[in-house]
Amino acid sequence: MSIPGLGQIAPQQPTTSTTRTITLRPFWEWRFEVPRSSSAATTTSATTTAPGNVSVGGGGATVRLTSGAAERDGTELALNRVYTFPRNTQSKLLTYTGATLEVAGAFVDHVAQYPAPEASPQLPVLNLHFALQELRAGVGRGGGDNTNDNGGGGGGGGVPGPRVMICGERDSGKTTVARTLAALATRAGGQPLVGSVDPREGMLALPGTISAAVFGTVMDVEDPAAGFGVSGTPSSGPSAVPVKLPMVYYVGRERVDEDVPLWRDLVGKLGSSARAKFAADEVVREAGLLLDTPAASVAKGDLDILMHAAHEFAVNIVVVIGSVELHAELQRRFENERTLHGEVVTLIFLDKSDGVAERDKDFMKFTREAAIKEYFFGDAKRTLSPFTQSVGFDDVAVFRTPEGSGFYDNKPALERADISAEMSHWTLAVMNASVNDPPEIIRQAPVMGFVAIADVDEDRRRLKVLSPVSGRLGNRPMVWGRWPEPYINLLG
Amino acid sequence: MADNAAEVAEDYRQALEDLTVNSRIEIATLTNIARENAHHGFAISEALANHIKKVPPARTLPALYVLDSVVKNVPTPYALYFGPKLYSVFMGAYTKVDNATRRKMDEMLKTWKEPVPGSISTKPVFPLEQVRPIEHALMAARNAAYTAQQNSFQGQQQLMRGRQPAPSRDTPTPPTTRSYQPPPQQPSYPGSNGHRPDAAQRPYPMQPANGPGTTSHRSTPQPAPPAGSHPPYQQPAAGPVYGAPQPGISIDKLKDDVQQLIVAEKAEFAQDPLDTSKQTRLKALLDLQTIIQSQDMPQDQLMIIRDRVAELAVKIRPQLPVTAGPAGGGVAAPNTVYSGVSYTTTPTPPVVSQQSTPVPPAAAAVVAAALGRPPSAASAPPATGGGVSIDSIFGQGALAALISGNARKSATPQQAPTPQPPPPAPAPAIGPAAAAAIAAALRSPPLQRPAEPPKPAASAPPASNPSALLAMLRQSGLIKPSGTPTPPPAAPLLPGFGPHGFQSLAGLTLDANPQLRPASLKTFRPHMISRLHEDLGPPCTQCGRRFKANEDGRRKKTAHMDWHFRVHQRMTDAEKRGQHRSWYVDESDWIRTREAIDTDYTHPPQDPSSTSASDHHHHHLSSTSGGAHDGGAHGGKPNSASAAAAAAAGRMMPYLPVPEDSARANNACPICQEKFEMKWLDEAQEWVWTDAVRVGERVFHASCHREAYGVQALAQAQAQAQAQGQGQGVLGKRKAEDDVGGLRGRMKMEGY
Repeated sequence: MSIPGLGQIAPQQPTTSTTRTITLRPFWEWRFEVPRSSSAATTTSATTTAPGNVSVGGGGATVRLTSGAAERDGTELALNRVYTFPRNTQSKLLTYTGATLEVAGAFVDHVAQYPAPEASPQLPVLNLHFALQELRAGVGRGGGDNTNDNGGGGGGGGVPGPRVMICGERDSGKTTVARTLAALATRAGGQPLVGSVDPREGMLALPGTISAAVFGTVMDVEDPAAGFGVSGTPSSGPSAVPVKLPMVYYVGRERVDEDVPLWRDLVGKLGSSARAKFAADEVVREAGLLLDTPAASVAKGDLDILMHAAHEFAVNIVVVIGSVELHAELQRRFENERTLHGEVVTLIFLDKSDGVAERDKDFMKFTREAAIKEYFFGDAKRTLSPFTQSVGFDDVAVFRTPEGSGFYDNKPALERADISAEMSHWTLAVMNASVNDPPEIIRQAPVMGFVAIADVDEDRRRLKVLSPVSGRLGNRPMVWGRWPEPYINLLG
Repeated sequence: MADNAAEVAEDYRQALEDLTVNSRIEIATLTNIARENAHHGFAISEALANHIKKVPPARTLPALYVLDSVVKNVPTPYALYFGPKLYSVFMGAYTKVDNATRRKMDEMLKTWKEPVPGSISTKPVFPLEQVRPIEHALMAARNAAYTAQQNSFQGQQQLMRGRQPAPSRDTPTPPTTRSYQPPPQQPSYPGSNGHRPDAAQRPYPMQPANGPGTTSHRSTPQPAPPAGSHPPYQQPAAGPVYGAPQPGISIDKLKDDVQQLIVAEKAEFAQDPLDTSKQTRLKALLDLQTIIQSQDMPQDQLMIIRDRVAELAVKIRPQLPVTAGPAGGGVAAPNTVYSGVSYTTTPTPPVVSQQSTPVPPAAAAVVAAALGRPPSAASAPPATGGGVSIDSIFGQGALAALISGNARKSATPQQAPTPQPPPPAPAPAIGPAAAAAIAAALRSPPLQRPAEPPKPAASAPPASNPSALLAMLRQSGLIKPSGTPTPPPAAPLLPGFGPHGFQSLAGLTLDANPQLRPASLKTFRPHMISRLHEDLGPPCTQCGRRFKANEDGRRKKTAHMDWHFRVHQRMTDAEKRGQHRSWYVDESDWIRTREAIDTDYTHPPQDPSSTSASDHHHHHLSSTSGGAHDGGAHGGKPNSASAAAAAAAGRMMPYLPVPEDSARANNACPICQEKFEMKWLDEAQEWVWTDAVRVGERVFHASCHREAYGVQALAQAQAQAQAQGQGQGVLGKRKAEDDVGGLRGRMKMEGY
């Protein structure tokens, strides 16, 4: 620290040893991985010199864009603002025009250099965005009375903008592409509807859900999920990054094939919500849809799943990342398909980016845990205080899919669950339905939120429940899913 | 915008015409014009680049100084625009000017590697990887010139033996060779001709046709002083190779080849049925076969296919020894050159060679060796090439393109003079022999630089190459060069330019907007990058969101900055109060909620009496643009009593944040005994009770209270409440008794 007035103290001396400057040429990417074990937030104690090394120290990663323009998954960084990336973040910063970054902290990183834009895996994504923009502009022009403002309930006629479904195998970069396209569209002033029908990672919700939300505002660059994380949803207070309002349905499974019928129903619900949204909001209608999907192979089951999602959302553009076979198979399947609006389905193949990181079990687990914590307690920017309450076993209505259901229609969709110690630390979905609704309705109801079971006292027949919002829980059915398994004690 | 840009470019071109001497003032003026029209930067850069190419040698230097000045003074966007063309522009100019000017150019080139003097930016004027190829080319050209002198003779001989001259393939190259030959060079030329009459003859006829006219003559082939020596060596290579193989492609031969390939591929596939690339390749081949058999293909396209087939053949039999005798040597080199040339569309010169070359890589290696380059350079690419997704080479799309290409036999205007049809479209002006020489020289250096930081770069480009080929295929049939006549000539000028050169130009002329096709998606369009940045206006300093620099943009930005400010203020507040995650909304609310971007400040409050400046939250979210995600409204922001009164009068709707402490508030109105309606209010970023007002410790429906106690009482109560710091907001007109759909889906929370 230099003291004003004392000229001889060389300013900034220490910073040079802890920060590093990275110069990116157009289309280069700075790829980084903040380890799980470091603790974010400290900015000073790391020493790094050589790229490709782990910088050791207490810090997460901090990044400052000192010149040029750079973005994370389509969302631009502000110049000279310090961004902090929390633990377990694997991502990249990319520039189209060249940029200089000042980075510090603990992370593994390297710069992906491309001799020409054509060699960059980002170029096709960018071009895809421009192509989609053309299509969106077409909707705008042809869309008749496009008041573009709050027209209220202007008749929802007209074909919506491009509805894009993004498919690929596991760890092929689907979500990143979806997010990038969403961010680019938003940046251009559009308000695309973004959906995720992959329960493995919740979008703006906890894992085990499928959801959709309109993205009309800047995404959170510092979110480990770059704006798709649950920290981007509304809380009772203000948020430095505009929040997104998702529509959420609860699958309670990791993989679709574990309960295909339920997933299909919920995707149907989400699809109809999307249609209604298009009908009600012409700005969203113009921008169309970006749909993230579960990892898929060419197995028949996976293809059926994708086809179902495509139908429900009237998808007219299918982007396949990385898998030539999947592309070929889908091409065959879609050949004779027409969308709801009579359009031909266009298939696009994108190469998988060489920067896509394999996410191991631990990474996913950490991500899930982090999401649950963020849901209840907020993140570095916004501390939340959930409510803890103690309720009797009989004062809550907990439902669960019977074991092995989904394959046999003769079992009820949901049944009252026996509350036991087994329920400890599970996260339950609170459904937007009435306790007295039939199971089928409850099962397909939108999710209102989540509660965590902090403790089960079988002797006294009481539960300790962590809830985001205060108030009695008894009049809302809660659904106890089968995934993700509990592993953390939130009140620990 | 296109019109406008064209006009600007035309004006600029005319202004450039007037620039005959090295006048500082004129150059400064031209720089300023460029600065002021930066939004048409691409058009201007095109105009300038073309001018430099066309202008007589004596006036080249001033024009280059303009470029230099523009780029240094207005680096954005010009450095970006010129970067990809740099090689072609610079080398094109270099070849035609005298030695004195060349020295000046060398100096200029040096400054491009450094930051602009006096600038804050530490970036060099042009990225090193754009300048370096030029340096390498210059150096390599000098070296090659010498080496070539020795080798050329031999090489030619071999060539002669190896192939008979054939009518040119579709490639523009041969003519190029010619066209580039500048009169001054002549001396050397004849020499070479003499050696190989065949080669010499063929190219000549072509020439007129090919020449894009303007470009053709001015450029001297030799980049380096030893110019004379170049042509000879070059020439042999170029001419014979492409032309030679077939005087017309025999369809039968092609079918045979394809058939053979299929057989070979099947065998491979059988060995490793799981290898998807093989699978796809096989499928591609089969498709191709069908097409060939069922369609009547124009020659030019057959050529392309043939080349592609040859390329595949090479891949399929990779064992073709690198050890191949020196025999092939001469041939390969030319080929490389040629390929470089032809692919105006291609981003990556290095790879190119394989594709077009029927010659085994080995040969290339030999040549390379002869030229003093490591053979590895030549042979490496093939390997990489193999990795490429075949899909992109022979994808459905490509075939479709082919087919449709057939449908319209393309006689592109530009090509018109040329005997060869469309494919070369992008390349018409291409490959003067000299240029080719440079290219050849150039080609190796990049690959050669192992010393360089271990960039994956070197190997990366090849990957994209096939797609470029595909692009060419596509363009051959699908896209008419109709558009801008200017760019194409520009591109073709020099074969070897930097990887971007080709692509960008190709993209511009042939494929201005990305289409949902593989090749189109892989085409770089530098002019579109600004759509992500400058075109959107300057960014917000806090979050990077951009706002246009027009009236509307400024208005939005004001609102936006204001939003930041309010949120910031409220954050501290909220931290103290404690906050919590909200419930998700239900379906009908979700459908109705409009995404709102910042608060729309300009809409006057609906109630004239509440026009106080702080009152921006007047819109009900489902009926306005605005439920801002900000919600600075309530919570401690005093609403005037008059606003409350207005609310009482039914014009505004009071709301109350849902009390967090259930003990402190009743959840039903004491008057009507009905529960309060709870809903998510975007503006407030909170769950609120609508139509609610707190009077003392109790909460009432505002409408009930008004009926029971009258307007004044309510106003007083509210004023009082606010004095106590109770948060309260005023909503836009929405009467309680209205059937407000937005409330249908509200969540009732009991038990507070």
